[in-house]
Amino acid sequence: MKLKKLVAMLCTFSMLGMLLAGCGGEEKPKESESSQEESAGGSQEPAGEESQEPEGAEESQEPAGEESGEAAGGDISGTITIWEHAFSFEESLQAVIEGFNKQYPNVTVEYEIRDGDTYNSVLTTAIQSGDGPDLFYTGGTSDAVMGDMVANGAIMDLTNEVDYSLFDESALSRSIMDGKYYSIPWLTMDTRAVYYNIDMFEEHGWKVPTTFSEFEALLATVDEAGIIPVSAVNSYFSMLFAYEPVLSGFDAEYTKGLADYSVKVTDQPARDALQKMVDWADAGYFGDNWLGVVDGNAMLLAFTSGQAAMMISGSWDITTIAENNPDLNFGAFEIPTDDGVAGLVGTPANGFSVNAATQNKEAAIAFANYCASLEGQTIWVQSQGGVSASDEIEASTELAKQISESGQGNIYTSWHNVITNYSTDGSAVLFWEENFEKVFAKDMTVDEFMDGLAELMQ
Amino acid sequence: MRKKHAHIKFILPGFLFYTCFVVLPIIYVFGLSFVEWSGMGPMKFSGLDNFIKMFTAQNFAPIFFHALGNNVKYLLCVWLIITPIQYLLAYLFFIKIPAHRYLRFMVFMPYVISSTIVSFFATLIFNPIFGFLNKFLEGIGLEQLQGAWFGDPKWAFKLMVMLIIWQGAGSGIMIFYSNFMDISKDVMEACRIDGCTEWQRFTRILIPLSLPSCASIITMSSIWALALFDLPFILGGRNGGVSGSLDFANLVFYRYTFGNALSGRSELGFGAAICVVMFIFMMTVTVIQRKILKKFEYDT
Repeated sequence: MKLKKLVAMLCTFSMLGMLLAGCGGEEKPKESESSQEESAGGSQEPAGEESQEPEGAEESQEPAGEESGEAAGGDISGTITIWEHAFSFEESLQAVIEGFNKQYPNVTVEYEIRDGDTYNSVLTTAIQSGDGPDLFYTGGTSDAVMGDMVANGAIMDLTNEVDYSLFDESALSRSIMDGKYYSIPWLTMDTRAVYYNIDMFEEHGWKVPTTFSEFEALLATVDEAGIIPVSAVNSYFSMLFAYEPVLSGFDAEYTKGLADYSVKVTDQPARDALQKMVDWADAGYFGDNWLGVVDGNAMLLAFTSGQAAMMISGSWDITTIAENNPDLNFGAFEIPTDDGVAGLVGTPANGFSVNAATQNKEAAIAFANYCASLEGQTIWVQSQGGVSASDEIEASTELAKQISESGQGNIYTSWHNVITNYSTDGSAVLFWEENFEKVFAKDMTVDEFMDGLAELMQ
Repeated sequence: MRKKHAHIKFILPGFLFYTCFVVLPIIYVFGLSFVEWSGMGPMKFSGLDNFIKMFTAQNFAPIFFHALGNNVKYLLCVWLIITPIQYLLAYLFFIKIPAHRYLRFMVFMPYVISSTIVSFFATLIFNPIFGFLNKFLEGIGLEQLQGAWFGDPKWAFKLMVMLIIWQGAGSGIMIFYSNFMDISKDVMEACRIDGCTEWQRFTRILIPLSLPSCASIITMSSIWALALFDLPFILGGRNGGVSGSLDFANLVFYRYTFGNALSGRSELGFGAAICVVMFIFMMTVTVIQRKILKKFEYDT
């Protein structure tokens, strides 16, 4: 009897534990790695498609939010719900909602942050079941989700609903499909940069490199000083965000060619740059046992705690680094070529789309228009502390300006985005996800990886 | 007549609940495994394509079988290492080794900590850059012993098993211990009067009389072993660590079903096919186990 009671108690206890653990899983840390990865979904639509003009763009209506200021705003009421995909955007979203509510005081805006890898699955399931939010984030054309929604009529065509006059072609590259606009971009430039510890550099007399060779020599010098040159994490996205700026510094001409796919993602420069990174890893430039670092926060901590001199990651990490160690004196630069040419890899970020089945179209469109306004964009860009992708919006931090200037006005297409857009059947990106880490773990050579990838590309 | 219907009324709520929330979803997943569907729009019937891809696709089959191999490897660890350790510790508590109450409490305590928290603390200890272990080794002048730990395929699996023993052994130990306590005192007394040695008491009395609890624990542990997810996910990342050393079938299911937030598209049909294969595999293991373990059952 005792045994049965105990077994029953244990089972109940473990079930309760699992339930609680499950509930806990929903609430993820605000600075989770996945959020940073997603926010970096920065990637451009192939140039060929970028030039498409939206149908009926000339007929575009006056934005709802600007028709007659607050008076018009007061006519619109009701509640709308917004889904955002990462906690790192929560404060910016709150600020935008606050600005929106000044113009539209009768609209109640509710939001949910759905952090985690399953965001897209949960979103599509909610929309499919008719319980979807009125506005929601997607990665735009940089992944298959928005296209899937467009194909199924689940997403609203905003071409004639929203005033897109603030944006240029590059900013709209992730919003346009078949000549129609389906999302509002954010004018934060999702790029990558090398962050460095200024105090450490000054203490050792190290200089910010002006050529690729100098950068490579710097890595060796830092290593000789017994300090980890670059804080890295054994995760395919984090390594991608390091690989892309290395590639642009390794061969800028090749990287430029990715924009119109005049070069292949598996051409020799891409192989050589990847091999270069593998060699750096072997030389200990990422730390002796870096393969054991699997958490992006651990990579960040190694840099902010002064154990590593540099960290290569996204521009969206500026705020996180500063929050992690407010006393850290750090700067940022782009890796230049041996000719001294540098550039920014990435595109303006993508923002919200409107659910075709929204119950409050007026309010949803009004919010979309507010997001597309200079005021909404300024609030977003400055609260994000990000690199501005617009001349009209000034970056809110010195570091963001530093990254912008370091790019010398050059903007390169993300290597990863070309994989997404030019795969024969969409499986190239899966191949990359599954095997990129294997190259660094020596389970696969660079050539084996690139050859496998080439088979899945157009 | 009234009596005849009474049992139906008792069964009906549970039956309906079980059917709605267990049986129907299983049937639905079986149906889903024959379609191509991202979760949106119409489902496209694809016949056995998902299964064919799973077993033959050059870019998927080796990954899936490697992960399944890790599940089996872990299952063997459960049978041959974890359960015997649990049994041995339960026996030590039963014979009241010194400080047994304190030790029993300490062994059981980690069981109440969630796997997520355990994994988090494990990363604090084993992180190669700032983790306690490497810092400690450096502090005592043994830098040569520093390692990547969960980033080293030679260590990752072993460390994970050790962590599971530390965290989860308590439940099995308590079941075994309780089973020992349940054995009739008359039997124990009689064997003592008859002059049994401790070894004879262990092999002739305790082992045979604790076989039912062995059967329960092995069955439950085997199912958990094949459904392992949380620890390897946190310790090794979503790709299952370096060289797939911590890759398990559930991780493969997770990343191929829900995709990645950046890469996007979900493949619910393909994910369902993985579920079906795992369901059949687990059922097979459980049925075989059940047949073998049935011999252990006796009427108390």
